[in-house]
Amino acid sequence: MKTFRGGFHVPDNKALTAASAIEQMPAVTDYYVSLSQHIGKPAQPVVKAGDEVVEGQLIAQASAFVSANIHSPVCGEVVDIVKRKNAQGALVDAIHIKANGKQDKFAYPPLTDPTPAQIIQRIADAGIVGMGGAGFPTAVKLQPKDPVDVLIINAAECEPYLNCDNRLMIERTEQFLQGVRLIAKAIGVTNVYIGIEANKTEAYDKLLAQEGVISDSKEALANRKESDVVLVQLKAKYPQGAEKTIIKACVNREVPVGGLPAAVGCIVDNVGTAYAVYDAVVNGVPLYRRLMTVSGRGVNAPKNIEVAIGTPLSSVVELCGGLNDRTIKLVSGGPMMGFCLADLEVATTKTDSGFLALTDKEASSVLPTPCINCGRCASVCPMRLMPMYIDFYATVGDTDNAVKYGALNCFECGTCAYVCPAKRPIVQSVRLTKMKAKEKK
Amino acid sequence: MVNYLYSSSPHVKSPRTTRRIMIDVCIALLPACIAGCVLNGIASPLYPEWGWLSFMHLAICCVTCVAAEWIYSLCCRKNFQQILHEFDFTSLVTGLLIGMNLYPTSKWYVGIFASIFAIVIVKMLFGGTGKNIVNPAIAGRIFAFIAFGAAFGGAMFYANPSDNSFVNHITSPISDGIVSGLDAKGNVTGATPLQVLMGGVQNPTNTLTNLDLFLGTGVAGCIGETCKLALIVGGIYLVVRGVLNFRWPLVYIATTGVVSVIIAWIDNVNGYADVNPVTIGMAFDDAIGVFLPSILSGGLILGAIFMATDYVTTPNTKLGNYIYFLLLGIITAVLRKAIHGEAVSFAILIMNLLVPLFDAVIRRRPFGYVKPQRKPRAKKVKADEAVSDEKVIAKEGE
Repeated sequence: MKTFRGGFHVPDNKALTAASAIEQMPAVTDYYVSLSQHIGKPAQPVVKAGDEVVEGQLIAQASAFVSANIHSPVCGEVVDIVKRKNAQGALVDAIHIKANGKQDKFAYPPLTDPTPAQIIQRIADAGIVGMGGAGFPTAVKLQPKDPVDVLIINAAECEPYLNCDNRLMIERTEQFLQGVRLIAKAIGVTNVYIGIEANKTEAYDKLLAQEGVISDSKEALANRKESDVVLVQLKAKYPQGAEKTIIKACVNREVPVGGLPAAVGCIVDNVGTAYAVYDAVVNGVPLYRRLMTVSGRGVNAPKNIEVAIGTPLSSVVELCGGLNDRTIKLVSGGPMMGFCLADLEVATTKTDSGFLALTDKEASSVLPTPCINCGRCASVCPMRLMPMYIDFYATVGDTDNAVKYGALNCFECGTCAYVCPAKRPIVQSVRLTKMKAKEKK
Repeated sequence: MVNYLYSSSPHVKSPRTTRRIMIDVCIALLPACIAGCVLNGIASPLYPEWGWLSFMHLAICCVTCVAAEWIYSLCCRKNFQQILHEFDFTSLVTGLLIGMNLYPTSKWYVGIFASIFAIVIVKMLFGGTGKNIVNPAIAGRIFAFIAFGAAFGGAMFYANPSDNSFVNHITSPISDGIVSGLDAKGNVTGATPLQVLMGGVQNPTNTLTNLDLFLGTGVAGCIGETCKLALIVGGIYLVVRGVLNFRWPLVYIATTGVVSVIIAWIDNVNGYADVNPVTIGMAFDDAIGVFLPSILSGGLILGAIFMATDYVTTPNTKLGNYIYFLLLGIITAVLRKAIHGEAVSFAILIMNLLVPLFDAVIRRRPFGYVKPQRKPRAKKVKADEAVSDEKVIAKEGE
């Protein structure tokens, strides 16, 4: 089984929602659609207060090369453009839409047998961004400067608790594969890998049963046809689903420090992204719905739900039976890299793969103690850094030395902080260092 | 309005804490402690009180270490609740180790002073847990060895060379007190088997077998280092619990054994008047017998499993650790040959002091590391490097 060096198997707690089928989120009255749900410039609104919009209508336009369109999740009336808190706690502009109960829908014309340029154009129109969490506009990603020969679909879903990618692969297998082929066509590669963690056996079996999907065993690879997609089973280990580690595991290439995957001829896309591409190209539906896992032992009825983007989290949680009073922490995203929420006054975005309510048994509230130099952080670091030094220098305020030990190469997976017996806030130190280094520049 | 916890990711953390690790180490030390007390009490019928003395030493050291840490913290104006909250059992581990490094015959006050020295001077003054540069227990043992001599016991014995029979006339050079006796088999327990082995003193009554060394039956020595079986059981527990990497003690012990054999081999070869392949071969055959006794005697296994592998005083890189433990083995074997005792503790002390050097010199190759290429342009504009660097950066940014 393929993998990378370092990492740690974090107890995945996926059993909470692994078997629950995707449910549809019923309509609510108020939607708050954020204008910056992606990396890059916030989108420029093209509607104003009082306008009537239909489901799927463009309401904000990409304002730069690295930006993305945003579509209305519902038929209704634009109330206003308001300032709303996002998951990271910053105030951003959001379009407040009040639903009027109509069922009209806007969709782009479906494309049959599209050219690569058409696919990329449609991806840009539909406002598709990387749905694994970073939210990089996919259309930009699919037009790399460097030559690319490999497409890797990141189906590792290494974050504990989350199951939305897993359920999507099980329930919408064919559509997902079609999306994968469309992306491959758009960038013009035939070398397609799907990297999936070994703990998702159901999805693995289901995918392997499909036409044109082969496993990565030697015999299968020897008889490989050009159009075949290679399904690579990866060791269940965090952070297997990080861009750099999944490239290393699937095709054994190391992305250079500070470089993009395209530098080694790879493009990595998420399962959700592939499905969104399918939906946009084949059905013409822009991206305004996504799957998310609502889980954690603080949620009374954990579920995998398809939500409209802009739905307030409080309504989502209500659908899942509300929170019980053992909850001590709210997390948007996975428990390893997700953002902490102060309350539920946050609306869902394109990048929300999950919402977790963690109880005191799950979330750690132990205060840090002095580092005992055990070296566990270094042994699990997928970037092979030495986090103990970064933490030490960041704590004493020596940014230069923290940078010297590679703080800027860290992608904040949090494995070091997870295994640390002294519970050092290593990721926080890294973020502090990055911020200070940015200020210095 | 409910107030929720708010913090940086990750939001889940492993259940393992420093305290948990240190409790595991304490548990791992228990078999050796018990074996030390029992073997010293039962196995030496002439001195049955040794068992109780051993237990007393362990208790004194543990209490002193913990008390020293708490009193030091109180002097630093921490309140007692805070001290209890921060208490992570490291001082208890130090206390147990110092107790295990004493002899049953050591005077009662030796453990107290060694513990205070280890905790206050070696650990707390350097910044407490995780900041000490040498292992406190090793420093405590060496302090006791140097400062108390005969009162410490063990290693300060001397044999009267003119009288080559080891009867129990062996006396301490300082206190003149009898510090050795006869064991169950009627053998002298004065000089440890290791000293006999390494000092080249041929003891006609030394009938200890390797099995005796392994089980600690009838072996003189420190409380904790006699029963190797108990130590190894503790070590296996730590490996199973994921506290200890089994590689490092193995590297250390194996290196010591191999280097001891090599040293004995060279010695043997020098003993032959005529050096030829046959005598070299014979010398090797003789020397190979040193391997097992050299790894089974003395404090090697205790040091290798519990003291040299202390997280705080080992390098942070894998390569660094390999070099560290290899050198440790070599130094131990050479010191044993050179000073006939206290080799393990001094070797660990020396290597502990070198750890910052290892960490400064040996760095890991980060993921995706690219060797910085020399820029030919920077060479030309040597006079104004800063400007040329800026140009390069600007070019890369394009």
